[in-house]
Amino acid sequence: MLAGAVVLWLFVNGAFYFMSRIRPGRFDQTYAPHILIGGGIILPVVILSALLVWGLGILTDPRRPGDGLVVRVTGEQWWWRVEYWPEGATEPIISANEIRLPAGQRAEIHLTSDKVIHSFWIPALGGKMDMFPGRDTMISLAPEKVGTYRGQCAEFCGASHAWMAFSAVVMEPEAFDSWLEAEAEDAVEPAGDAALRGRQVFLSEGCGACHAVRGTEAVGQVGPDLTHVGSRQTLGAGRMALTLEDLTTWISHSEALKPEVKMPAYDLAPDRLDDLARYLEGLK
Amino acid sequence: MAEHRPDRNEDRHEFSEEQASLFRITFGPLIWALHFLACYGLVAVACAKGADIAMVRILLLLGSVVALGGIGWVGYGAFRQWNVVETGDFVHRRGHAEDRHHFLGHAAFLLSIISAIGVIFVSLPLVMIGGCQ
Amino acid sequence: MTRSSGLPQPEGPYPPTEEMLAEPVPRDLQRDQAERLRRVWATPKGLRYVTAVNNSEVGKWYCLTALVFMLLAGVMALIIRLQLALPENDLVSADRFNQLFTMHGSAMMFLFAVPMFEAVSILLLPGMLGARDMPFPRLSAFGYWCFLIGGVFVIGSIFFDVAPRAGWFMYPPLATEDEGPGSDIWLLGLSFIEVASIAAAVELIVGTLKCRPPGMRINLMPLYAWYVLVVGGMILFAFPPLIAGDFLFELERSFDWPFFDPTRGGDPMLWQHLFWIFGHPEVYIIFLPSIAIAAMVIPTVARRPIYGYSWIVLSAVGTGFLSFGLWVHHMFTTGLPSISLGFFSAASEAVVIPTGIQIFAFLATLMVGRVKMTLPMLWISGALAIFTMGGLTGVMLALAPFDFQAHDTYFIVAHLHYTLFGGMVFPVIAGVYYFFPFIQKKLLSERLGKWSFWLTFSGFNLCFLPMHLTGLWGMPRRVYTYPSGLGWDWLNLISTVGAFVIAAGFLLFVWDLIRPKHRQPQIPRNPWEAGTLEWSHDIPEEAWGVRSIPHVTSRYPLWDQPEMVARIDAGRYYLPDAEEGRRETLITSVIDAEPVQVQRVTGPTWITLWAAAFTGGAFIFPTFHWYPPAIVCAVLAIGCIIGWLWTSTARPPEADSKDVGLGLRLPTYAAGPASVGWWAMWITMLGDATAFASLVFGFFFYWTASADFPPDGAAHPLALLTLLASLGFVLSWALTIGARRLNRSGRRGAARGCLVLAPLAAAGAATALVASVLHLDPTSHVYPAILWALAIWIAVHAGAGILMQLYCLAGSVFGKLTPRHDADIWNVSLFWHFVTIAALVTCAVLGLMPGAL
Repeated sequence: MLAGAVVLWLFVNGAFYFMSRIRPGRFDQTYAPHILIGGGIILPVVILSALLVWGLGILTDPRRPGDGLVVRVTGEQWWWRVEYWPEGATEPIISANEIRLPAGQRAEIHLTSDKVIHSFWIPALGGKMDMFPGRDTMISLAPEKVGTYRGQCAEFCGASHAWMAFSAVVMEPEAFDSWLEAEAEDAVEPAGDAALRGRQVFLSEGCGACHAVRGTEAVGQVGPDLTHVGSRQTLGAGRMALTLEDLTTWISHSEALKPEVKMPAYDLAPDRLDDLARYLEGLK
Repeated sequence: MAEHRPDRNEDRHEFSEEQASLFRITFGPLIWALHFLACYGLVAVACAKGADIAMVRILLLLGSVVALGGIGWVGYGAFRQWNVVETGDFVHRRGHAEDRHHFLGHAAFLLSIISAIGVIFVSLPLVMIGGCQ
Repeated sequence: MTRSSGLPQPEGPYPPTEEMLAEPVPRDLQRDQAERLRRVWATPKGLRYVTAVNNSEVGKWYCLTALVFMLLAGVMALIIRLQLALPENDLVSADRFNQLFTMHGSAMMFLFAVPMFEAVSILLLPGMLGARDMPFPRLSAFGYWCFLIGGVFVIGSIFFDVAPRAGWFMYPPLATEDEGPGSDIWLLGLSFIEVASIAAAVELIVGTLKCRPPGMRINLMPLYAWYVLVVGGMILFAFPPLIAGDFLFELERSFDWPFFDPTRGGDPMLWQHLFWIFGHPEVYIIFLPSIAIAAMVIPTVARRPIYGYSWIVLSAVGTGFLSFGLWVHHMFTTGLPSISLGFFSAASEAVVIPTGIQIFAFLATLMVGRVKMTLPMLWISGALAIFTMGGLTGVMLALAPFDFQAHDTYFIVAHLHYTLFGGMVFPVIAGVYYFFPFIQKKLLSERLGKWSFWLTFSGFNLCFLPMHLTGLWGMPRRVYTYPSGLGWDWLNLISTVGAFVIAAGFLLFVWDLIRPKHRQPQIPRNPWEAGTLEWSHDIPEEAWGVRSIPHVTSRYPLWDQPEMVARIDAGRYYLPDAEEGRRETLITSVIDAEPVQVQRVTGPTWITLWAAAFTGGAFIFPTFHWYPPAIVCAVLAIGCIIGWLWTSTARPPEADSKDVGLGLRLPTYAAGPASVGWWAMWITMLGDATAFASLVFGFFFYWTASADFPPDGAAHPLALLTLLASLGFVLSWALTIGARRLNRSGRRGAARGCLVLAPLAAAGAATALVASVLHLDPTSHVYPAILWALAIWIAVHAGAGILMQLYCLAGSVFGKLTPRHDADIWNVSLFWHFVTIAALVTCAVLGLMPGAL
């Protein structure tokens, strides 16, 4: 398509250049109708018909039904609420800001939004689909190659639209199944004193009012579920990497890193901050 | 050309004489527009309310045939009015009444060609795409 | 049939014979006539200069203002590019960035591209048509002042950090829920400008249809006029849906009526539909007039008539129609049924064909002509190179599967800038170089022009060509920054450098435009040796437009009628004099341009300024929820407009007919379909009806889109009252028509009686209509809200209709409206035709639909 476009562009502009610069003199009038009918009608009709037939032929691909797995994604300002519904599931496995898919299967992604319009897009895996409040849309993806891809919101959704991203991890089907099983579990017990102290900080600072960590008394639904946050690839919906250092930066500077984000920046003593980061990092 | 007195009701006279050909310019595209609206509207309602989409497609394809027929009829009339076979005039650059008359025919004829292409293009999805997915 | 008013018919020989035209005009007479004309058309001096209404002045202001807004929006683009030059840059905050890109898009579209078309057309069209002025000069002045006030208000908001920030498309719920006045500024400020645009469109359409020179039949019109006609028509059908959308949007913002709130049955998709039904044709509204400039330049450069005149007309009309079938290609990713996407994909491909024909017609013209390269042609060639590129990416984007990938990425940014620079900016600059000698009677510099061209052209490609790749590599639009390491960094840096090269090119162009040119010697009268009428202009400048209005028998009269310019100058043709000291222009018939009337046109005045200022207040105060001053302003604005109409339109003339030259006598007054005012009303009401249709579309859209419309157990309008309302509207309509007929047959008392009863019937009907929905709570659900909106729409129109009926009553009492001079009541009857139909549809929806759905 690109090559065709280049050829056409060269043809039209070359003709103009030729008429105006190289041979500005008068041509025989009899050619003119051929240019008009040939260039203006026949040529475009042939090319456009071919393109249109091809385009219509593959138009419905992203809406083909899936092989069983359904992922429900809700766009929030500015992160992604994710629910996995394996075939036959009666209740979802809850996660956030990361989407894992098995390679070689077609998964249905059901999309909605809490407040404003977003758009779900993993450039390497397929086209985009908008997410509306009060309306369900669907796109199905059939990734082939195992790997990690970047996904992001493509519809302008407010101040931090630029930082509404996620990682899409495509796994071997067996690996995916065992990962999903682990994802359904409650949070692991903190390993080590620092992490234990960190859980105390997490609960006493009121983090649980917004975030849920299954298996603890933190059951907030306002922000992303953190039960297995330590196993994710990114932090703050694709804002930064998930390392100890980035975790402390994020907790203490969330508003600077992500304008107008709901989570306030926490001004904690350095050791408490460090403990908290260790706890979160350990939530594999 | 015989001298004649302009008349304050000139518009009315002209219209009664040229009404058909002035409107004929827009007939082709109007048929396209009606066909397009029918396609969009019926499919939107059918998909939203769960009607039988196959039935709607057949109905609309019949509509396409009717639209093409209508455009063909308009185009034929315009071609006759253009009267190129007799005059050989593609340019209509003089300021006589018959130039204007032929010009309007010519323009309407060309527009009906474009409208016909438009109707055919818009009918393609009806043929190629099955359901409401 | 209605009785004739008894006004005189045109008398005398027409068309003029060669002997009549060859007869010389005595020198003394020529001098006296020119003196009188000069005095009548003199442009006011000093402070009173702003009261000018002549198209040459208003057009110039319009162009300059649009240019300034464009430069401001360009500076915003530069800040945007600077911010994006490096990853994670913090030159501006996210909020500021969002304001900047929202304003950049809104200003370029609403404050530059569309007004520029109106500006250029107001400036050039009378010249091309050999008319003295536009048919309604005060309306253009009013439109200009509205544009200035609204534009300054909207663009000024960015300096106070309260600019709209939800994108130029203002998608709800983001825009409806936005805190702060940004969204209101966008909605009210731009609605105000949209109204001005429609006013300009009405005037341009009437000007093209009724103010052509005698003999210029429809097949002889300059191509520019054809495009104006098509684009004017498109504005009438494209802008009203947006105005209807704005109306609903503002009702939601101000009164919490949930049109776009999904929790109460509303639907954000309705806005997307209304916005893009406007938004896509708008692209062609911008593109077609610019291509029309190319259609004027190319024959001059090729030194022969355009090849394929009928083809270009076909292309303009065809594009105009097809462009209304494209809007959903902005919504390919919203999850509509595939088959619907297919229709729009197909129509988007089909529109390429007329556009291509247009380009190939230019090519054919150049081919059969002897090309003489000029600076304007250089810009046109650049435009073509850029536009074809944008067109080809457009062909790709029209394929939905490709769009799924490219939608809302920098690929789109590249595509739209290629189409708009190629389809608008470059041709308009070409037009400035080409028409500058006509506008300012000076020439622009060839050397600076070439420099400017190459800077802009190379800068443009440097900036936007890489964006195709940036987009394909996954960079979404409207992000205030981006992380490093995704391969976007160097592409963005190149784009930023390119943006500054464009800016340098523009700077040169603007300098060339404004640098003092006093020392430049007098230019030749027709520097490009063009063939169309505007190049018969007077050098040095005269404000009268054309010395006498010629009889035209060819498409390129200056090439084909060699005696013409001398005869125009001598005052040999029509209207060479202004004996009564009044501004006049010739009205001709629509198809064959036979002279039918002499139209008095209005002169300098302050009233348009006042009217615009108060209209501005009526739109601007509600932004801050200051309703009492807004209402006061609205009342004063209406007062000003009534005063202006009363004192200067459709006044009975001192003599029924006058000699216009060449032995022809024409009437000086017209009413009904023969008058320009009637045509203007007709065209305006077409636009109004479109807006109303958009509201009704909204009603049925909700019904289609949602299962609970109307919701179970909802209260419905009182059917009896809607029935009563419909009877009242029909009665008021019948009384108005009756008044017109009685008045014409001389029974003025009976006519006045009708005009007393008609407003009462209308007021009663409007009250009944509002009462029928009064018990519904519009904030509870979208169903009562849309019924309320329909009722309010009709009530407001009834209010306007009542004012008009009273205006006619006053006219009849004070001798402005007589059995012979009854233009006002003709126009008012026309208004009432439309309002009555809309009212009956509304009553049907309110009264019958609850049972039917």
